[in-house]
Amino acid sequence: MDSGIMKLHKVNFYYGQCRALTNISMKFVKNKVTALIGPSGCGKSTLLRLLNRMNDLISGTRVEGEILFEDKNIYAPDIDPVEIRRKIGMVFQKPNPFPKTIYNNISYGPKLTGLGTGNMDALVEQSLKQAVLWDEVKDILNKSAMNLSGGQQQRLCIARALAMKPDILLMDEPTSALDPISTAKIEELIEELKKNYTIIIVTHNMQQAARISDETAFFYIGNLVEYNKTDKIFTNPDIKQTEDYITGRFG
Amino acid sequence: MEDVMKSFKNNSMKWRYLKQALFFGTVRLSALIIVLALGGILFYIIVNGIGAISWDFITKPPTDSMTKGGIMPAILGTIYLTIGAIAVGLPLGIASAIYLTEYAKEGRIIRFIKVGINCLAGVPSVVFGLFGLGFFVIFMKFGSSILSGSLTLGFLILPTIIGASEEALKSVPQTFREASLALGVSKWQTTYRIVLPNAMPGILTGSILGIGRAAGETAPIMFTAAAYFTAKLPGSIFDEVMALPYHIYVLATAGTNIEATRPIQFGTVLVLVAVVLGIDLFAIIIRSYMRRNKRW
Repeated sequence: MDSGIMKLHKVNFYYGQCRALTNISMKFVKNKVTALIGPSGCGKSTLLRLLNRMNDLISGTRVEGEILFEDKNIYAPDIDPVEIRRKIGMVFQKPNPFPKTIYNNISYGPKLTGLGTGNMDALVEQSLKQAVLWDEVKDILNKSAMNLSGGQQQRLCIARALAMKPDILLMDEPTSALDPISTAKIEELIEELKKNYTIIIVTHNMQQAARISDETAFFYIGNLVEYNKTDKIFTNPDIKQTEDYITGRFG
Repeated sequence: MEDVMKSFKNNSMKWRYLKQALFFGTVRLSALIIVLALGGILFYIIVNGIGAISWDFITKPPTDSMTKGGIMPAILGTIYLTIGAIAVGLPLGIASAIYLTEYAKEGRIIRFIKVGINCLAGVPSVVFGLFGLGFFVIFMKFGSSILSGSLTLGFLILPTIIGASEEALKSVPQTFREASLALGVSKWQTTYRIVLPNAMPGILTGSILGIGRAAGETAPIMFTAAAYFTAKLPGSIFDEVMALPYHIYVLATAGTNIEATRPIQFGTVLVLVAVVLGIDLFAIIIRSYMRRNKRW
C-alpha cells in the first residue's frame, strides 16, 4: 500500500450530536478496487459519501480530521465541493437515471461542466462502451432512459459518471437492487474499469467483496476494525470480530 | 353449538356490511352533492345566458349606455389582466418556492416567511385592491391601468402559486438532485436543469387555480385597472380596460337599466366562465405536453 490516491487522517463525522465515524485513518490505493464492508449502520456508506462531499447536502453534519485527495484536504475552506465531485464520481444504490433520453443522460454532466467542448457523440459512445451498454442501446439513444431495465439503468448511471472522466469512482451498493445476471455484468465491468479508475465500493454482499476487490475494509459501529488485502481478510483475518462477521456469525 | 356460532358470525358480518354500505353511501352522497351543485350553477348560467350570445356580442363594444351591443372590450381586458397577473405571479412565485425548498435552511426566519405566505392567502381580495390603489396606482404613479391591475392580481395569486410550486418541487425525487450534484454539476444548474423541468407540470396544475381566480376577481381590479366604460381598446399597459367581472358587477348594480340588461349580464357571466375554462384548458395542454417522457 504505497501510492495512496486518497488518504484519511483521524476523521470523525457527526450527524448532529451523534457520532457516525470514529477516528478513521486509512488510504485508498490507486487503480485498485477497495471494498467497504460491515453490518448496516456501521458507517460505510457515510464514509463513502464523505469522499465526494455528498454529506454536505445533509444539514447538521460535521467533519473533523483531514481527507486528502492528491495531497489536498478536500474539506479545506478554499475547496469547491463541485470541483471535487467532478473528479470523484458516484454510483448510487438504486439506479437513478434522469427522465431524459439515453444520450442526454450521458451528455448532461460534460455539457454543463464545460467538459464536452469536443465531440459529444464520441464521448457518449466511448462512455457507453466503457460501461458495456453501447451494443444494447446504440439504436435507441434518443429514447427515454426510463424504459431501460434496472441493470441497464445502473450501467447507464456508471456510463454517466465515466463521461466526466473522474479519477475515482465511488459505488454505494451498486448491485443491491439488481438481479443476479445484471449483478454479474456489473461485477465484470468493475473488473474492467479498475485498469483506469480507482474504485471504492460499499457492499453488503460478502461474496461480491471477495470476488471483485483487491483491498477490503471492515467497519463496525463507526470504527475501522480491519483493513487489508482482500485475500488476507477473507482467509486469515487478524481480528476476531472480522472473522465472526465474514463467517456469518453476526451482521 | 356450531349453529350458534354460525348465526353469530352471520350477524356480525351483516352488521359490518351494513356499516360499510352506510359509510360508502355517505361519501358517495357528498360527491354527488358537489357535482349537482356545480352542474346546477353551470346549467342555470347557460340557460339564462345562451340567448345573449352571438357573434356581435363577443366582437362588438357595448352601445346605448351599455344596454345593447357586445362586451368585446371587457373580454380583451380580462385576457390582458390575466396574462399580466400570470406574468407577475408565476415567475415571482416559482422563484420564491425555489428559494424556500431548495436553498433556505430550515429556521425561524423561514418559518416566519411561510406563515406570512399562508396569511397572505387568507387576506380578502378587496384588501389587495386597496393596496394596489395605494401603492401601484398612487404611489408608483402607474394610474388605473393594466399594469397596476396585473401587479395587484399577481400578488393576489402569489400564495397559491408558491404553495403549488413548493409541493411540486418537493415531489421531485431527491435521487435526481443527488445524481446531478454527484456529477459535479452546480446546485443552481441542478435546480434549473433537473428539478424545475420535472416540477413544472405540478407547478402548472396548482397555478391553474390561481389563474382562474385572477380572471374572476372583481375587487382587486375595481380600483386599479377596471373602467366603467371605454369603447376604445387599450393602446399600452398604462391604459385602463374594461373587465368581465367588473362589467357584470356594474351591469347588475349600477347600470342604467338593470332589469333590461339581465340577459346581457348572464351572457357576460357565461363568457367569463368560458374564458376562465379556456385559460385553464390552455394550461392543461401545456402541462400534458411537458409530461411526455416524465415518469419516475
